[in-house]
Amino acid sequence: MSKVKASTPADQPTVTFEREFAAPPEAVFGAYRDPDALKEWYGPDGFTITIIAMDFRVGGLLRFTMHGPDGTDYPNRIMYRDIVPGARIAYRHDSDVDDDPRGFEVTVTFAPAGAGRTLLTMCSTFPSIEARNAVMKFGAVELGMQTVEKLAAYVKG
Amino acid sequence: MPADQLSKTFKALADPTRRAILARLQLGEVSVLELAKPFDMSLPAISQHLKVLENAGLVARSREAQWRPCRLDAAKLKQATEWLDEYRRFWDGSFDRLDRYLAKSQTKNRKDKA
Repeated sequence: MSKVKASTPADQPTVTFEREFAAPPEAVFGAYRDPDALKEWYGPDGFTITIIAMDFRVGGLLRFTMHGPDGTDYPNRIMYRDIVPGARIAYRHDSDVDDDPRGFEVTVTFAPAGAGRTLLTMCSTFPSIEARNAVMKFGAVELGMQTVEKLAAYVKG
Repeated sequence: MPADQLSKTFKALADPTRRAILARLQLGEVSVLELAKPFDMSLPAISQHLKVLENAGLVARSREAQWRPCRLDAAKLKQATEWLDEYRRFWDGSFDRLDRYLAKSQTKNRKDKA
């Protein structure tokens, strides 16, 4: 069972993940700021990262290579747009090329959630609400398709 | 999926007329003329939308028949949906590891203070 809650507000072109941690906001923020910490947790099991450069300040860049379990390398670049220590980090995330159409705007907030706990909210912004809806499963329902698999089966048939 | 392909898919899906075209094509192949009928739009305008869908790989047009029927190509749409699923799985996994990392470092901090 996933501990992450995903939501897609009707009036914003965003996808939001929420997750609680048994550590205070400063500590969770610290895990984003410290390159040695990032190496320990960034990416699912089986992934590792090599940090090329990290300049943790507004306008600064974090460049790293993500190594997938199958040996594939993924270049990544983060440009910090806003930093509020212990509370908020906003950044643009792309694949280390300029004007990357796959680039995302991301905002991570760290809110106190009771004794020594943090509610982390990660909000990623899509090009438009319609585009986001269309790629979500319920967007497929909007098109009158129950599942994308059904659609694929139709095409094959 | 290459970055520009994903972006093209998003962009193509962002328009209500194009989503309506896709919904219509789900029922089967049709000619452009037939496709345009329910829309209050000129044929060139519909063709323009079709071109965007074709470029995004969401619609294919047969070159065999003279009436060049349009049909849905769902593979790209499926890729875009899968990509979002992967994104979620990625963060699910990362946050689990972050949780373990924090538990470890919190314990260490407490020990250091003690």
